[in-house]
Amino acid sequence: MSYWYDAHLILIQSTFVSLLLALSIQFPLRMGVFSFAGIGSYGIGAYAAAIMTIRYSWPAFAAIGAGMVVAMVAGYLLALLVSRLDGLYLGMATIAFTLILTVVAINGGSLTGGAQGLYGAISTLQTGQVILVCAVVVVLLALSERGRMGRRIDAVREDPELAVSVGIRVIRMRRMAFVVSGALGACAGGMNALLRTTVSPDDVGFSLVVLALTMIIVGGSRSWAGALIGSVIFTWLPQVLQAVGDWQTVVYGVIVALTAVYVPSGLLGVAQNGYRRMRRRSGPVAGATEKATGSEEPGGDSAPLEPLSEDVPTGGTR
Amino acid sequence: MAQDVINAATLGSLYLLFALGMSLAWGTIGILNFAHGSIFMFSAFVCHLIVREAALPMPVAVLIGLVVGAVISVLVQVLAFEPIQRRAADHRRAELQILVGGIGMAGVLLAIAQRVTKSVPFGFSESTFRVHVYDLGFVRLSNVQIVIVVAACLLAGLAGWWLRSSRSGLALRAIGVDPEVATMMGVDRRKLAVAIMAASGGLAGVAGVLLTYYLGSIAAESGDAFLLKAFAAIVLGGVGSVGGAAVGAAILAVVETIVLVQTSGTWVDAVSFGLIFLMLLVRPRGIFGRKEVRRT
Repeated sequence: MSYWYDAHLILIQSTFVSLLLALSIQFPLRMGVFSFAGIGSYGIGAYAAAIMTIRYSWPAFAAIGAGMVVAMVAGYLLALLVSRLDGLYLGMATIAFTLILTVVAINGGSLTGGAQGLYGAISTLQTGQVILVCAVVVVLLALSERGRMGRRIDAVREDPELAVSVGIRVIRMRRMAFVVSGALGACAGGMNALLRTTVSPDDVGFSLVVLALTMIIVGGSRSWAGALIGSVIFTWLPQVLQAVGDWQTVVYGVIVALTAVYVPSGLLGVAQNGYRRMRRRSGPVAGATEKATGSEEPGGDSAPLEPLSEDVPTGGTR
Repeated sequence: MAQDVINAATLGSLYLLFALGMSLAWGTIGILNFAHGSIFMFSAFVCHLIVREAALPMPVAVLIGLVVGAVISVLVQVLAFEPIQRRAADHRRAELQILVGGIGMAGVLLAIAQRVTKSVPFGFSESTFRVHVYDLGFVRLSNVQIVIVVAACLLAGLAGWWLRSSRSGLALRAIGVDPEVATMMGVDRRKLAVAIMAASGGLAGVAGVLLTYYLGSIAAESGDAFLLKAFAAIVLGGVGSVGGAAVGAAILAVVETIVLVQTSGTWVDAVSFGLIFLMLLVRPRGIFGRKEVRRT
């Protein structure tokens, strides 16, 4: 076990960093906000942490925290700017924001190290600490998927007008999505920069946007668990695919395309569906399950495929 | 100065050829095709493989690019986008899945090209076509540049005529406004979707082959950069409008050329993203865009 752990340390670290990165896109998506600003925040966090560590030798968590504060402020300002946009247009605007940051980093002179980036951000950040941070984040996000908060977020996604009419402050919730996304992205970027001790403009670009989006869609976009599944798969897949040798990248693309086409609710959705089918077969509570799911989700039409995760067990035990 | 105008016109024509198909597919059948950049690159790549075996003249090479682009684009539509649209529960989820489906397809095409070329840039050095540069005293103009500008004007005009004046073009625009009602009026959505994707891929293929002739060689990775530029052109001009795509491509090319001439060149990439951002803030539907008819 310990040998395996040491041999795969980098992949284990990457898994947790990718998890935070995927969550920074997934959290706004849960509110129907299609924003890639989390990737830009990843860049902000990575550069801020590296600069603070190299120039002022701040301790690891202070450096990461500084990046998170900057990214949260940037996220809030961005939310004010793009408040009129929706759907794919919002997605494009936030991709543009991310890529502008990349160009700024290339032209940042000695502060950002230009096209080469920054080297030697050596800190005391431990893998255990990274895992701990991830655990805390996941617990907080899991809490936000339940109870009042969870229902509010679902209402904002499924029907913003209805949500406003029942007294949910939709605009404030959307701004919050940008701020939380900024914090998560910057945390991922800061930790990655300190673990690898380097950061360069190439780390933050279109390919990272693509990777994060793929992780969420393939894993499942409705819950943190989907982001976890996605980040595990896409961090370890290249390692596994070494078995097929040269055709590695081709197989990778085929897997992404097939999942997007044939598994619309992500692997998490498949797991949940299988679980429900098992419960239904074992007891005569199928009607109760359907009813509970239908009444919880205002958008009704997509209910059979993607139930809210926590409703199913409750409905089943009734 | 005159030289810069010529270069901007060539660049703008290439952007137009590339962005036009993407814009039309997005504006009519609602598909934002992330595989468009890879289709563009792969057409040039297949053309390179064929030209390596047989020395072909330029028109034949362009034709090969057109056919290959159209075939791949239709394949992507039939294999990925059609099943997604058929199965998706609602419009927003379908949009996301189409993005990722396109990314997956793009990944496959890119991986094949990278594997065969070993990531070395490829070109058409065996083609019978030779680049001629005409020195007109105040500017230098190559025959490739003339072909590119003429091709862009011709094909964009053709696409505009198709959408505006033909029956199938009218049907396509109807799908863009309201797919359900269009189907009720007897429009065959499936057939027209395949047709627009074929046209879109064909334009990308022509753009890919012409770019390769213009630059001498391209790398397998050059599709992604073009994809982002095309977004900028589309968002600037307005989704689904031929005139909009032309104006967007022209603005983008002119501003990029100005920045390239005036500064050290490292800021050029910021231009397209900055323009997207500004345009979305000021006028999200673009210069020529109609008011978006949002389906709920």
